[in-house]
Amino acid sequence: MRLAFWLYEGTALHGISRVTNSMKGVHTVYHAPQGDDYITATYTMLERTPQFPGLSISVVRGRDLAQGVSRLPATLQQVEHHYSPELIVIAPSCSTALLQEDLHQLAAHSGLPPEKILVYALNPFRVSENEAADGLLTELVKRFAQTQEKTARPSVNLLGFTSLGFHLRANLTSLRRMLQTLGITVNVVAPWGAGIDDLRKLPAAWLNIAPYREIGATAAEYLAETFDMPAIYEAPIGVEPTLAWLRSLIGKLNATAAERGVPPLVMPALNAFSLDGMSAPSGVPWFARTADMESFSNKRAFVFGDATHTVALVKFLRDELGMQIIGAGTYLERHADWVRKELEGYLPGALIVTDKFQDVAQIIDDQMPDLVCGTQMERHSCRKLDVPCMVICPPTHIENHLLGYYPFFGFDGADVIADRVYLSCKLGLEKHLIDFFGDAGLEYEESEASAPSEASVSAQADSNGHVLPEIAAEVTVNAADGEMKWSDEAETMLKKVPFFVRKKVRKNTENFAHERGESMVSIEVFRQAKESLGG
Amino acid sequence: MMQAPGDIQVIKEDNVTHSFCGLACVGWMYQKIKDSFFLVLGTHTCAHFLQNALGMMIFAKPRFGIALMEEGDLSKNEPTLEGIISEIKADHNPSVIFLLSSCTPEVMKVDFKGLAHLLSTPDVPVLFVPASGLVYNFTQAEDSVLSALVPFCPQAPAGQKSVVFLGSVNDITADDLRAEAEALGIPVGGFLPESRFDKMPAIGPDTVLAPIQPYLSRVAVKLSRERGCSVLHSLFPFGPDGTRAFWEDLAREFGITVDLRDREKAAWDKIRNQTELLKGKKVFLTADTMMELPLARFLHSAGADVVECSSAYINKKFHARELQALDGVRVVEQPNFHRQLEDVRRIKPDLIITSLMTANPFAGNGFVVKWSMEFMLMSIHSWSGVVTLANMFVSPLQRRSKLPAFDREVWLEGVMPSAE
Repeated sequence: MRLAFWLYEGTALHGISRVTNSMKGVHTVYHAPQGDDYITATYTMLERTPQFPGLSISVVRGRDLAQGVSRLPATLQQVEHHYSPELIVIAPSCSTALLQEDLHQLAAHSGLPPEKILVYALNPFRVSENEAADGLLTELVKRFAQTQEKTARPSVNLLGFTSLGFHLRANLTSLRRMLQTLGITVNVVAPWGAGIDDLRKLPAAWLNIAPYREIGATAAEYLAETFDMPAIYEAPIGVEPTLAWLRSLIGKLNATAAERGVPPLVMPALNAFSLDGMSAPSGVPWFARTADMESFSNKRAFVFGDATHTVALVKFLRDELGMQIIGAGTYLERHADWVRKELEGYLPGALIVTDKFQDVAQIIDDQMPDLVCGTQMERHSCRKLDVPCMVICPPTHIENHLLGYYPFFGFDGADVIADRVYLSCKLGLEKHLIDFFGDAGLEYEESEASAPSEASVSAQADSNGHVLPEIAAEVTVNAADGEMKWSDEAETMLKKVPFFVRKKVRKNTENFAHERGESMVSIEVFRQAKESLGG
Repeated sequence: MMQAPGDIQVIKEDNVTHSFCGLACVGWMYQKIKDSFFLVLGTHTCAHFLQNALGMMIFAKPRFGIALMEEGDLSKNEPTLEGIISEIKADHNPSVIFLLSSCTPEVMKVDFKGLAHLLSTPDVPVLFVPASGLVYNFTQAEDSVLSALVPFCPQAPAGQKSVVFLGSVNDITADDLRAEAEALGIPVGGFLPESRFDKMPAIGPDTVLAPIQPYLSRVAVKLSRERGCSVLHSLFPFGPDGTRAFWEDLAREFGITVDLRDREKAAWDKIRNQTELLKGKKVFLTADTMMELPLARFLHSAGADVVECSSAYINKKFHARELQALDGVRVVEQPNFHRQLEDVRRIKPDLIITSLMTANPFAGNGFVVKWSMEFMLMSIHSWSGVVTLANMFVSPLQRRSKLPAFDREVWLEGVMPSAE
């Protein structure tokens, strides 16, 4: 038992519904108490679904438990009557798993044909969002995929694209654009938009693309074993990884083409991948070599997230933008070994593996990086610390579900990520000017740094789409104990430091003073700190 | 079924609805009672609900948390919370800790009362709040929080006649209600809850309890039993009609006769533009926050055609006046959402008041919607809330009428491939 305030990964139920909500003709029935279908709101509000997600609850009330009544059979009949889905996935909740109810037997009582029902009775106390989603997708693929003729022309399946996935639709578009350029057909995208028939025809494709470590890779492995389908598991994030991905894709498809006597695919000139078909496909390689970007070489970045994006972003920042990586971590313990292996030689220390956001916030507070790539939670932690942050993976927020085309995959994605890094970090030459001349003649008020205060109850619907306000709980930026005092003169001098680095300078100076056993930052200590720490 | 004269027919269905469990009350209660901590004994699901559905992001140290039950905790007979309670006390120094139950420990039959008693100290009481989705919907757990606070309301001596308003509202609304009561000559004893644990109002045999939120029937009954106080049975103070009835009835409890006819008329006049637009409009309320009855009654009085008003829980005594005022309106308790969806498609209401979970899909089906939860978070009480209340119904209608024509086939393509 531990005290938790906020968790990175969602529940097993969330993972299950991410898959089923992606699919046509599939309905999920939660055998759960009132309120467990709150998950519906994540789709209707974050993805703004214009139809009702196929999620129903077979309500478990205290009174039903006392009387030994189960509403599951009746709920299944209602779902059949109103929606007649091709498949109903039945999922347990914490309570019903604990009660060890036999969902198979209860489902049989509904009188629905067994082939219409899939009981996914995992243990919600043991399995979390990604594992449940990956597992269910694999179950579905196992159940429906059928041996059949391959398509005449080179074709691929895109696996693991799932409701509420990070920049899902833009990533799909980016992949489709590249595949189209190469003349490769998309056979099936799953689970996003797939129906049961689509799952049946998965083995018709020549190859599977499963770029997400978290969801889809296991299904691709199953298809490889059972139907002898080659697969590509890398995520095409960054220019070099995208080039490698394209070469690997062409190589594997051409192996099949040779067997089948089909003319091989040819890698076109790279401008074929650009939006206008006549330019460099990405601005990143040149951008990284500009004098402006030279200032990035000494920027210190910290990356924390899921497995796929943590690995990809560390590599992108270091290999393509030339930034320093001061640390990285993941909240997915299940994939930590893979992340560790991928990032061998990239990290100055051990990979951080934790599901406690407070630990990550503490590291950021201690290190004060120039850029943090993280989840929505790191964005909040960084806002408090005035550290630049960009969100690179789930858990997300309505702000990460934008309308525009912002892929992370492919050449287009490399440009998007580089732009975000650039906009998130403090600028190059401009920063030198401001550093050198103080605040460049502008008077910045101290209030800029003021922490958000507790929200009032009277808030209305906010930009985040939630009716309740984003609750800014009490902010305690400085721990009460060990707080360092500043003399008035030192405080005045600190105000001459540009506002956007002021917090960092304050923190570094206090650490310096603390190490030296000082109880107060005097103007002398401040000067010594400047000398010893630089800038 | 036998019906008493004047009794309103309430249709009861099977409660297959889309709404939240009682833990939702944490979202506003922890902000209302500023020296409190809300501790949920629950699972990953409870934590995920609070952080996602309620959009609660945490900047530093929130005054709510989950004592997270993991697999290993399921085999233990009694959860040990001492360590967590110490951590909370050290970090937050609360005056009171509310211990909320959730489904899993209730299924495990955790003795919450015993547990709360064990963890309580004279300085920091730990109060058990039943809130699980096995029994409680959405706002109902505020009823549980207030019930837990009853022992901490001092005993008001007999003869001390004053009103105690029942229900959490923000400070501005509270000040407004207090001023209005005093202007009418009604002595105010306070609010349950007040903003601080040590400031809970005195309640005694001559207290008049005036419920200002429609989901607090159990604490009202408990207080009238335990303290002998009387409970005002009137309309809830929403809209010109409800506000007038509320204040006239409350004044009468204090032997004061007031005639607020002119005030009511002036309030209706002030929202004439809004009521003109609402007149004859078909409005459908799906069950969510349990504020549905008074909202529907206001709409009905304003001339709208309330085609269905549904609510998760209806108490024929506590809601008697609202039900009377809704005479002729189809009222459903614990509705079935599948049936409602079919009815909505057939009736084609002009406006649907519905939950966070169902609002956008209704909009995608071509309907104009308003989030039911917004009514809980806006100042819509009494005279000063009338314009806000009326605007909340009118603004979605007006806004939609100003937007250009919308071809769903064109503009919804690809948004939700699973529905195409």
